[in-house]
Amino acid sequence: MRKILIVGSGQSGLQLALTLQQHGYDITMMSARTAEEIRGGRVMSTQCMFDKALSIERSHGLNLWDDVAPAMTHQGLSLSVERGERALNWLGEWPGPAQSIDQRVKMATWLELFEQRGGRVVIHGVTTADLNALAGMYDLTVVAAGKGELVQLFDRDDERSVHTRPARALSVSYVDRVPKRPERPEGSVDVWVNIVAGVGENINIPGYTVTGECEIFYLSGIPGGPFDAFSDRPGPEEQWQRHLRLLETYLPWEYERYRDAKLTDARGTLVGGYTPMVRRPVGELPSGHIVLGMADVVVANDPVTGQGANNACRCAQYYLEGILARGNEPFDREWMQQTFEAYWTHAQWVTKFTNTMLDPPEHVQAVLGVAQTNQAVADRFAGGFNDPSDLADWFFEPEKCQQYLASVS
Amino acid sequence: MRSKRIRPYALTGGRTRPRRELLVEALVSVPRYDPGLPDSLMPESRALYERARTRVSIAELSVALSMPLGVVRVLVSDLAAQGAIYVHPTAHAYHHDREMLGRILDGLEQLRI
Repeated sequence: MRKILIVGSGQSGLQLALTLQQHGYDITMMSARTAEEIRGGRVMSTQCMFDKALSIERSHGLNLWDDVAPAMTHQGLSLSVERGERALNWLGEWPGPAQSIDQRVKMATWLELFEQRGGRVVIHGVTTADLNALAGMYDLTVVAAGKGELVQLFDRDDERSVHTRPARALSVSYVDRVPKRPERPEGSVDVWVNIVAGVGENINIPGYTVTGECEIFYLSGIPGGPFDAFSDRPGPEEQWQRHLRLLETYLPWEYERYRDAKLTDARGTLVGGYTPMVRRPVGELPSGHIVLGMADVVVANDPVTGQGANNACRCAQYYLEGILARGNEPFDREWMQQTFEAYWTHAQWVTKFTNTMLDPPEHVQAVLGVAQTNQAVADRFAGGFNDPSDLADWFFEPEKCQQYLASVS
Repeated sequence: MRSKRIRPYALTGGRTRPRRELLVEALVSVPRYDPGLPDSLMPESRALYERARTRVSIAELSVALSMPLGVVRVLVSDLAAQGAIYVHPTAHAYHHDREMLGRILDGLEQLRI
């Protein structure tokens, strides 16, 4: 039985642990926190997962919230050019519903599930010194802890990285008591992306958290602009009040829905910002042992396109397939590189899409405009969130984009 | 190391919680020393097993064997899963026992620091 050490108990680490466990691998999982601490801690992300990623989870029987999670069927988009004026407002339909399960709920449950199935969990915030000794005791060591010193083991890939500093200042509030959108039919459950030109983005995601159904409010501010207003890390209530005041000024149509909303719990807020980066997948320790980086350890994107959890899910699936296909051959440097490259064939489009949406060129702005009156374009754009590789042959270059728009008009 | 795997629930009669969290202050010891076992262990685990013949904390093991804390935790949990090492309950296990917590507090107050 092959012994594998997985460091980090997020979407990718736990998904890989649970799926390898199903195939009889001897997995040791190291998590900085216990399930109880995860459940009782702060929210970690917005984690909107689209149909393609959800279908991977379902194929492994890890879809434990299908009966309680709001099933989001459409993605809306509004654009504000003048302050408070809604220039565009349309929505596209996804091929299958998306859902967002608070990672406090999901990771705590998955960690317990892994243990109940006989997996070994060691609670410890892993350091490089720990890995230096541990890596040699396992056939393979996977680093899936996207925050902390271990990321430094993996060098920046300058050719695949665009940014050198955070592109957005991020803030999140989990709230409830939010009425449905008045303009949408009864029973509609939609994600809505609001773009405020020159200021940033606001994305609202119906989700499921520790208290049940909720609405996840995400604000993404261009550094130095009005949405970049949380670097003093206000308390939860103060943060939500600031979110409301910004909504009232810049997005009054959203303010109308949110004015009476309340935080779901005292740990339902988050403030952050990080530099999008692609890293090399193989980390070398002073002892000479090598470790494989996974998900946002090696491909970290800005959350503006909501790809983080989807990427983590896909990466864990590519790595699972790579490990199973390897049989009893050694997990050497070459295999690690190949396994990552298989994932990159997908992740490259995610990275390209996300970087494009952080600074949309003119032809992308044209796509958003055409979608206002052309449902095929709206649906195709929304579909890009579900599967960014579908954007490859029309979205990124102005000529191809014009050809596509002409073909559907 | 190809350890003899014993599922945690085999040791606890089907319960997986509360699980030992191996806090730095947790004490461990070898319940019944098996002279045949060390030969089947990796050098690091062997050293831990020998050292734990007298009761010792996770922190002390780390220092005495110059082994990073994370490594000690992983190897001790492997040995504990085999039943080779016993992890004594810490104050953490008495979370809801006010009387025990009171006794611990009394003991701490009597310490002259």
